[in-house]
Amino acid sequence: MSGETFTITIDQRPVDVVAGETVLKAAARIGIKIPTLCYLEKCGPLNSCQVCLVKINGRLVPSCGTVSEPGMSVESESVEVHEARRTALELLFSDHVGDCLAPCNRLCPLRLNIPVMLRETEEGRIQQAISTVFEALPLPGVLGALCHHPCEQGCRRGQWDDPAAIRAIEKHLADEHRQSKTPYIPSRKPASGKSVVIVGAGPAGLSAAWSLLRQGHSVTVADRHSQAGGTLTSVPPRHLPEEVLAGETRQLASLGLQFRFGSELGRDLTLDGLLRGFDAVILAVGGITPAEAQSYGLESSSTGIKAQAETFETSRKAVFACGRAVREMTQVLRAISDGQSAATCVNQFLMGSPIRKTPKPFSSIMGRVGRTELKLFLRSTSTSSSTTPCNPSAGLDRREASLESSRCLHCDCRSSGSCALQTYAQTYGVDASRFRSQRRNFEQQVQPGGVIFEPGKCILCGICVKLTEIAREPLGLAFIGRGFNVRVSAPFNRSIEDGLRQTAEECVKHCPTGALSWK
Amino acid sequence: MRDATKSEPYPSVGQGHPDGRTPNVGPVVDLRYAEELVERTGSSPHSVIPILQGLQDHYGYLPGEALLKVCESTEITPSAVAGVSSFYDMFRHKPVGESIVRVCSGTACHVTGAERVEAALRRHLHIPDGGDTDANGLFTIEKVACLGCCTLAPVVKVNELTFGHVNQEKIPALLREVQESVDGEAPATEDPCDPAGGRPVINVGLGSCCMAKGSDQLFVALQKDVEESKLDVVIKRVGCVGICHRTPMIEVKVPGRESAFYAGIKAAESRSLIHRHFGAKGIFHRAARLWNKAVDGLLLEESADPTELFRVHPKEPTVSAFLDYQIHIATEHFGRADPLDLDEYVADGGFSALARCLGRSLDGASSNRDESPAVPPEEIITIIQRSGLRGRGGAGFATASKWKLAAAQTSAQKFVICNGDEGDPGAFMDRMLLESFPFRIIEGLAIAAIAIGAHDGIFYIRHEYPLAVRRVRAAIKLCQQRGWLGEKLMGADYPLKITIKEGAGAFVCGEETALIASIEGSRGMPRLRPPFPAQNGLWQKPTVINNVETLAMVPWILRHGPVKFATYGTSASKGTKVFALAGNVQRGGLIEIPMGTTIRQIVEDIGGGVAPGRKFKAVQIGGPSGGCLPARLADTPVDFESLRDVGAIMGSGGLVVLDDTACMVDIARYFLQFTQNQSCGKCTFCRVGTRRLLDILEAICAGKGRAADLVELEKLCRQVGAGSLCGLGKTAPNPVLTTLRYFRDEYEAHLQGRCPAGKCPALIRYHIRDNCTGCTICAQRCPVDAIPSTPYQRHVVNMEKCTRCDSCRRVCPSNAVEIV
Repeated sequence: MSGETFTITIDQRPVDVVAGETVLKAAARIGIKIPTLCYLEKCGPLNSCQVCLVKINGRLVPSCGTVSEPGMSVESESVEVHEARRTALELLFSDHVGDCLAPCNRLCPLRLNIPVMLRETEEGRIQQAISTVFEALPLPGVLGALCHHPCEQGCRRGQWDDPAAIRAIEKHLADEHRQSKTPYIPSRKPASGKSVVIVGAGPAGLSAAWSLLRQGHSVTVADRHSQAGGTLTSVPPRHLPEEVLAGETRQLASLGLQFRFGSELGRDLTLDGLLRGFDAVILAVGGITPAEAQSYGLESSSTGIKAQAETFETSRKAVFACGRAVREMTQVLRAISDGQSAATCVNQFLMGSPIRKTPKPFSSIMGRVGRTELKLFLRSTSTSSSTTPCNPSAGLDRREASLESSRCLHCDCRSSGSCALQTYAQTYGVDASRFRSQRRNFEQQVQPGGVIFEPGKCILCGICVKLTEIAREPLGLAFIGRGFNVRVSAPFNRSIEDGLRQTAEECVKHCPTGALSWK
Repeated sequence: MRDATKSEPYPSVGQGHPDGRTPNVGPVVDLRYAEELVERTGSSPHSVIPILQGLQDHYGYLPGEALLKVCESTEITPSAVAGVSSFYDMFRHKPVGESIVRVCSGTACHVTGAERVEAALRRHLHIPDGGDTDANGLFTIEKVACLGCCTLAPVVKVNELTFGHVNQEKIPALLREVQESVDGEAPATEDPCDPAGGRPVINVGLGSCCMAKGSDQLFVALQKDVEESKLDVVIKRVGCVGICHRTPMIEVKVPGRESAFYAGIKAAESRSLIHRHFGAKGIFHRAARLWNKAVDGLLLEESADPTELFRVHPKEPTVSAFLDYQIHIATEHFGRADPLDLDEYVADGGFSALARCLGRSLDGASSNRDESPAVPPEEIITIIQRSGLRGRGGAGFATASKWKLAAAQTSAQKFVICNGDEGDPGAFMDRMLLESFPFRIIEGLAIAAIAIGAHDGIFYIRHEYPLAVRRVRAAIKLCQQRGWLGEKLMGADYPLKITIKEGAGAFVCGEETALIASIEGSRGMPRLRPPFPAQNGLWQKPTVINNVETLAMVPWILRHGPVKFATYGTSASKGTKVFALAGNVQRGGLIEIPMGTTIRQIVEDIGGGVAPGRKFKAVQIGGPSGGCLPARLADTPVDFESLRDVGAIMGSGGLVVLDDTACMVDIARYFLQFTQNQSCGKCTFCRVGTRRLLDILEAICAGKGRAADLVELEKLCRQVGAGSLCGLGKTAPNPVLTTLRYFRDEYEAHLQGRCPAGKCPALIRYHIRDNCTGCTICAQRCPVDAIPSTPYQRHVVNMEKCTRCDSCRRVCPSNAVEIV
């Protein structure tokens, strides 16, 4: 039987298969990547997650365990199959206890990975911490001074005593950077050959410029004033020292930003003229009247220039608008994030791809945690209350920043970014809250050897149970209970590490979610 | 309470739990028994279930120390012990009370008030929700999926004693009876009985249902009384008599006279019965006369003979209606065959089919010289194929195709398994067949073995059926003693070894691949098919798994020919089907009818319809995989295709009748709760999907449903059905889909806060009408003091306190309590 080959079709495409080969493998051969959670070659098909469903002969079957047969016709990338896979994922999420992304991260419109920044700061890895911040957001010094920090409102530490002083730590990192001799230059894509002009050097305009520069475009910012900053220039120095803004301007210039000061739209510049010299225009001119908007030759709204809420497009092709030029906003953070979003759309426009809003990164959300759950998080963090800087005007010093960072509960998932469940959730557009349900308690077992087991994130794929069985672990792991209450655990109530004497490395590595991880 | 024990399955042994949870160290356990048990049972990995069963029988639970001992002294891994012992319902990890009170939660019990019975038991024993044992350690309450005594619903089993028709008012007396009975043990009914010869015989039905109503006590009393009065009368054990609603049933047969039948007769009436039919001698004679007089005086009936009250005439219209529709193939000789009389079975034509297949004759089979030619295996399969026999276990797969596939496999070792893991709540056909006709099923199994070339046969019987296990074991032994099983099947050169494996309490083990996993000593988790068990089954060998009833039909087909079998039934569904008729029906019982009989004929003609004053609303057919069909579809013929077309399935044969007191949303919730509870937990759609379906149904029953829930419910039902790995999950949504299809108005009423049947506690209120006489009975009976006692005045129910136990309404002598 082995060696015999025949042809099957997957999504109408013929594939040559060897007898005994599964549909999953056949599909992979022609580049159809069927999602799997419970499949690991070494373990053989476990058929538990049912995420790898395909349709054969009118029935949905798991492709990981279905052996190809001559003449088989398989449907993989169809609406119905995708819907079934999505439902399997949604069912798993309805019983998934834990957040992929911490609330601080989810609440930051600039998606700064705050927990990572805090852990780097805590461990004194300042260069990495600076990199984390400078890769994620423009104007870090300005934000360190003026951000209204929604992250801190969401911080779970605040349920216990005070939230981690995230903004103060970010400010400390920006200060450290400004004082260092070598400025950090964020990564840039190769030159695209496209050019953009941004009118207005306020927070929205500078933010958009930063993003577009990083995409490899050539960017010019025009402003009627003689310096960058827009409304930021009128902030009293005790809130925003002058050297901070100057530093941000230097930083942008080192990325290759061209400034053209003293140029005002309508007086020195026209849209027609700009469009002749550049591939796209962003208007970030600050608060203007509808009449002014019309004077540029654009349609207006009651708050300024009329622009599409999701795509920032104005009534004129290749002209985009963002910030206070479009709608009221009082927070610097909002203006900066508006500039970011506009830049994303402009980039799509320049690259010729359809313009659409960037989807929010997927995250499972467990919501408010109870007192007992909070205590679990607190076990491995500093119990001291919030840190007061010795020198209040200078902010936190390095030691204080580290101490304050150690107050972070690490309530984000250690596997975020490498988790298959999270990845597929994003790909399949999962609605993690489709099913109303009473969630289980968050559990976390921190083992002396460094393994962390979070049973609420386990999807019962069976890989670790099988791996311990293959390795003939003396204790091993087992499924305990039946039905909805099945849990993976070491027998006889022993610790998970007791069951993983020889296989800890392997099991943590192959756990498709964050149920098993390293400290 | 099951769940509570499952989440903490292990007393921590050795070092404490890393989380610092208090180690739960049980009482000191003498481990000598564990050692002996291992010695006896063997130490291979697949002995794990029998070893755990042995430990539990001995210790009453599974002590952690004993489990460790097993791991040390056998090849069984800790992982297997932990996984298996927490998978099956029967295993307990905590010591239990002296008596175990098993409350049946089968379908028939559910619709007749099992939940209220359980609540009343808990109240009476002061066991809070979440707990399972009373403070004195006397009673442990356990909810069981189905005891298979559906015609006696609601049923409670305490130790070995079964109580039928239980209600909250009977509970104190029931528990008293248990405490008074010495050890709650039922009399043995497996001892050999004398052959009748030409003597008068009293047939006593000794099926589980009959025994639950005291037929075993009656049997013992009759034997004792006959012996004492030195009468030459044989008291004969017979299997199920089918007319379960009138049990215990007995038949008095005197040669040359017409048989007399009695229903509902008790052990106390034994003497007067014997007196009536056979006169009496000596002291007993006088005693009986005195007794008779005393009873006559009390009875104040026109009849002078108290036993006349229990007499049933076969021509009685209700009895003849019950019997006339029936054709007995699987239940041939029902009500008069001794389950364990091999000679009688042979005299009735038993084992002649097997003998023919082997080319043997029955008389002196071992030394026969002029053997008739054996029927070749292919021809056996052809005969079965021509009969049109389809599997009676649920899916209706053609039996011959299964056999043919297994026969085609080239493997030195093959297996035949009789699937007696009848788990559907509301079904008891297989239990009755195993208890009443063990030889017939052994014969069917042996024929299947020859047809596919297997030399190993296994009976897989659920542990909730102890009588069935005992009877099959006794029957196998009798066959072995005669030299008909073992090295030489019926004396022919064909070895066949038959063993029994007891289930450990998991509905999913009725699924073929899960059943195999269970026999192999694993958690009963199904695997993907193909490969089918007929190709790759037990121990990776070709394995045919047939339902009990399927095998019971095989000898008849071979004896009477496939054509005769195929004259019964419809074009695609041949022969007869055994049904367990129960629920809100007047005459419940076990019936065998030709395929194609309509639901109406079953419910109204055979079952006598619902109680007077009630309305026939629906039938639930096919158990948790089946559906609810409304009364307007009652003319649907019962065959595989017709039932599938209306959204139900034949299932294994549970047929529960529902009247207008049944809430269809509640029924859907009930079944989802069952499947959710019984899901093995392997695949996402079944493990989480059925739970989410249950969440939605619970919200609707609690009056918290939203319109969008119905849309999600239907959508998720389709997805769970399509995406689940095995039949359990694939069919689990059927009860929801059929009720949504036929009773959508009831769902909508619940969304508006009404339960039209007055069943869902969150949506009903009790109201006492003006015709209340102020007798205070309701106030006295109310277990939670929700009705203040106000003599001679209209009483009022305090709805804040009321638990909707329904006691007040049931006890009110003037029907003044209503549900609004």
